[in-house]
Amino acid sequence: SSMSSNKLLAVFPLTIPLFLVNHLPHDDDVVSIRSQVIMIIALSTIAYFSTDWLIPKITPFLLRANLFGYDINKKGSKEGEKKIPESLGIVPAFVFIVLIILCQSFFYENNQKLVEYNAGLMSICFIVLLGFVDDVLDLPWRYKVILPLIASFPLLTVYANVQGITWIAIPKPLHWLLHESVNLWVFYYVYMSLLSVFCTNSINIFAGINGLEAGQSFLMAVSVVIHNLLQLCFGPEELRGNHLFSVLLMIPFIATTLALLNHNWYPSRVFVGDTYTMFAGMIFAVVGILGHFSKTLILFFIPQILNFLYSIPQLFSLFGYSCPRHRLPSLNVKTRNLMPTDDLNLVNLFLRVFGPTTERSLCLRLLSFQSICCIGALILRYTLAHVFYDSL
Amino acid sequence: FMQHWGTVLTQNEKWVASLSQVALSVGGGVMVYYMIKQSGTTFRNAGLSGRDLCKRDNKRLIPESMGIISGTVFLMVMFLFAGVRFGQHLLSSDKPFPHELFGQLLAALLSISCMLLLGFVDDVLNLKWRYKLFLPTLASLPLLMSHYINHGSTHMSIPMFLWPYMRHCINIGKLYYVYVSLLAVFCTNAINIYAGINGLEVGQSIVIAISIAVFNCLEIPTYLGNIHHLSLCILMPFIATSVALFCHNKYPARVFVGDTFTYFAGMTFAVVGIIGHFSKTVMMFFLPQLLNFVYSIPQLFRLLPCPRHRLPQYNPSTDSLEFSRTTIRTRSLNRHTLLAVRILSSLRLLSAVYVASDPKFDHESTVTINNLTLINLVLYWCGPLHESVLTWMLLFLQVLCTGLAFFIRYSVANYIFSDKPPN
Repeated sequence: SSMSSNKLLAVFPLTIPLFLVNHLPHDDDVVSIRSQVIMIIALSTIAYFSTDWLIPKITPFLLRANLFGYDINKKGSKEGEKKIPESLGIVPAFVFIVLIILCQSFFYENNQKLVEYNAGLMSICFIVLLGFVDDVLDLPWRYKVILPLIASFPLLTVYANVQGITWIAIPKPLHWLLHESVNLWVFYYVYMSLLSVFCTNSINIFAGINGLEAGQSFLMAVSVVIHNLLQLCFGPEELRGNHLFSVLLMIPFIATTLALLNHNWYPSRVFVGDTYTMFAGMIFAVVGILGHFSKTLILFFIPQILNFLYSIPQLFSLFGYSCPRHRLPSLNVKTRNLMPTDDLNLVNLFLRVFGPTTERSLCLRLLSFQSICCIGALILRYTLAHVFYDSL
Repeated sequence: FMQHWGTVLTQNEKWVASLSQVALSVGGGVMVYYMIKQSGTTFRNAGLSGRDLCKRDNKRLIPESMGIISGTVFLMVMFLFAGVRFGQHLLSSDKPFPHELFGQLLAALLSISCMLLLGFVDDVLNLKWRYKLFLPTLASLPLLMSHYINHGSTHMSIPMFLWPYMRHCINIGKLYYVYVSLLAVFCTNAINIYAGINGLEVGQSIVIAISIAVFNCLEIPTYLGNIHHLSLCILMPFIATSVALFCHNKYPARVFVGDTFTYFAGMTFAVVGIIGHFSKTVMMFFLPQLLNFVYSIPQLFRLLPCPRHRLPQYNPSTDSLEFSRTTIRTRSLNRHTLLAVRILSSLRLLSAVYVASDPKFDHESTVTINNLTLINLVLYWCGPLHESVLTWMLLFLQVLCTGLAFFIRYSVANYIFSDKPPN
């Protein structure tokens, strides 16, 4: 059936990380890296089933609380009349937070990493709170910029107090201009908070099609995990702590997102809401900042960056463009295809360039584009890294 | 590890941190005041509203769950404060960075923010009451994990008069974690049920917070001074944001605070009590809430019927509140319950009116008692009162109980407990 073929599509990207897990170092400490990763995979499986079970349980409460929407991409057809519960992002976020709190015991000996872990969790918890408040109260968009900024404060504080490194490595071709590395002082902190704002909002605007938000987050998370595992297997030993930290956050995120996709994939029975997009964005910002691979992280965000750049005239109402509430395609009820509108985003661009198509295959096209960009980013990172930098 | 806490900060650093926290808190309070003022319509449109049943006009919609604003601003101020307080260590790099203290602060803030999230979710989704017992347990997990990971002690000290019979302190092991989560459940729900009249929830929280803050100030010179200073710095923005909320919530209330606020307040008190090792003192400040809870037990545990609202009854002609009542058929109560009701009413702790043949209940014999809350009891003793008078009386009662708690703590406790920090 189409459900099982959908599930197969999700399992396929996971094979690469699972293959890499086998090659993780397992001969060092008492609790080796490989066994920690296997433990987190086992716990994340429980998280997957819990989220999957909890979503239908919470749905009636959300409908009663008037947290629902109508599927605009099905407007005009019978499905467009159905009330779809909104803000289901609260469920994977909740399960994720509970799991991460319990997993603090992984950092039993390492006080420094524990403090960083807690600060990351603090930022994530705060942004989930703000995302849910935004979903309920429908806050104006200026809050969507200010609130991630504030949510990043625990990260900045911890970073300043525990590591405080504000040097960035300069690519080798530019060594003659800027030396080997440059100290950005306070601008490094500005960069970190802007990263949080960017990650949360860019996922938020690259949305609107059933399964797009959760799907892109899933693919990006898998790419991050692949990068982390490659660094754990083949990278320098001093950076292992950072990448292990990132893996321990990303794997539960992948599990809870998959469970959400079970219900959110076309045709969506639930909508994820701003709660989910801000939650996802913040997790990426946390692992990128505290794991010290934010430049690689930005490479994975290329589709979101392109979508943002393309949307700028509409977002800031330049050149006579207006910014409507929804910038989504319209449905041709007879052919069941989505037709592009004049809105400036990747969703409509794909429809204009590749022709009208059903919502499901449009989502698959966009997610294939995301996969290609993520694979391209990994290739770029690993082949060109020694051209630009000294290390892997 | 006691010495470790003592050498972490000098006096100067404490003063800088305290003064900056005062400034940040005042700023936070002002922000809360203006944000609440502007967001009434937003909350009403989102469906977060309620009706004031103690007013003549009980049909008007009043925005609810405003506790989310004071809670969010509280967290923002705490984030900024963490930067200031722990940033000082960057400048004077001779002392080692206090990872443990910072970790305690993060665990405390994490518990409070989880509680705020769960409280707001509960307000929006209207979860069943049994979740109200479970949610604070979940929110206290960060605190439990942090304690466990930092090899926190699970010892409780024994009163001195029992020393000849037992050891001076016993290790209660895993039960300590049960105690912590029960404390969180109790603090949140005790404030939640001692509510219903304008300004009572916020007012009692402000009084308790100020009491704990005064206690912290008195304890700063001791060897646990750093953790008391941290607790004080957590309470300062709480007091400021709650005062701003109180300005809008006192009689006549323009906004309601919602379960969000009562959860947030209860959790804050439980958290500072746990990380500062003075939870028994915090309990002493909860005396009215404790009395209210004990008095409510028959209704809460369904030994007597429990109506949906146990608020006082509003009398429009006199514009005052009277105690609300519940009428019960005497044949539905067993012998022991009837006896208890008679004893309590003869001690004037309960108003019981017996009717031999009640026309409203098929001419059976009934007894009409006041709903078992402290608010109704005070109305029974003092007669009908105006709502604002009642609130200020109850808050004054809270202050008196605080005074009593300080007296017990600083005079009698010295005979019961030794100088070791109680748990």
